[in-house]
Amino acid sequence: MGKRSFGNTNWTPTATADTTALANATYQAIKGASATARNEIIEIYMAGMVASTSSPTFMQFAYSSTVATTPTALAAPAYDGVIDPSSVTGVTVTFTASAAGPQRSVVTTQPRLNLGINAWGGIVRWVAAHREEFIIYGATATGGEATLSAYTGGTPGAMNSHIIYEVI
Amino acid sequence: MYHSNRSQEGYLLVDHRNSPGITQADLLTVPEPMRQQFLATQGVFESPTIRCSHCGTMVVLNPQRTRARGYCAKCDHYICDSPLCHVECAPFMQRVESTQEQAARLLNIKEF
Repeated sequence: MGKRSFGNTNWTPTATADTTALANATYQAIKGASATARNEIIEIYMAGMVASTSSPTFMQFAYSSTVATTPTALAAPAYDGVIDPSSVTGVTVTFTASAAGPQRSVVTTQPRLNLGINAWGGIVRWVAAHREEFIIYGATATGGEATLSAYTGGTPGAMNSHIIYEVI
Repeated sequence: MYHSNRSQEGYLLVDHRNSPGITQADLLTVPEPMRQQFLATQGVFESPTIRCSHCGTMVVLNPQRTRARGYCAKCDHYICDSPLCHVECAPFMQRVESTQEQAARLLNIKEF
């Protein structure tokens, strides 16, 4: 299927502990559209937007142990679009707000990406090798939803970010 | 077909050239044990990453590591340092695929 870019502009994560519901507009979440869905995360990019205050932001991309309920449709400036307009793309659920926020899993044997950034001018980019992507499978916990959010600590600052993924 | 294990490597760039970066003092605000999962970085940090074949965790390869990395000859793939991943070969992708297959089978069950 075609690759898609899910991003947001000038948003500020909030330092949130594991297994705590993430507040609206403080995360980017990707959830499978069905029990058989599979999304492969190919790239995560973040660029700090804070002008003049040190803002260590301990971002993590991790599975949810409790998935969000009733995700809200994306609204600008957030976006999720296909990179190649001529390609066939599958369906997935991307959101930054929901009725009850997703909760980051605390389980130590589950994968997570630690992407610490100082939002005062910092840039972080992670790219997966082919067939070595971060996999989101199904639509339920655990594994069916993953979030990009800030872990406890630091003083999170505003950033631009995108997640490039493919619906398989 | 033979392939190099290096072809399994992803890429991580942390660019703090125009930023104070993450200092040791910043790291102290992160509770243990997660603190050790983050890097104190100034300037540019580039490193390959690998996905553990058994648990799916992304591992940032420390360029200064000298001891051998975990490797599973059965699935011909790097594995992380977690002791659980060294017990038996239970590939992460196999789990993903069996979960998907199970979900697909359930979709085909007809109720009478």
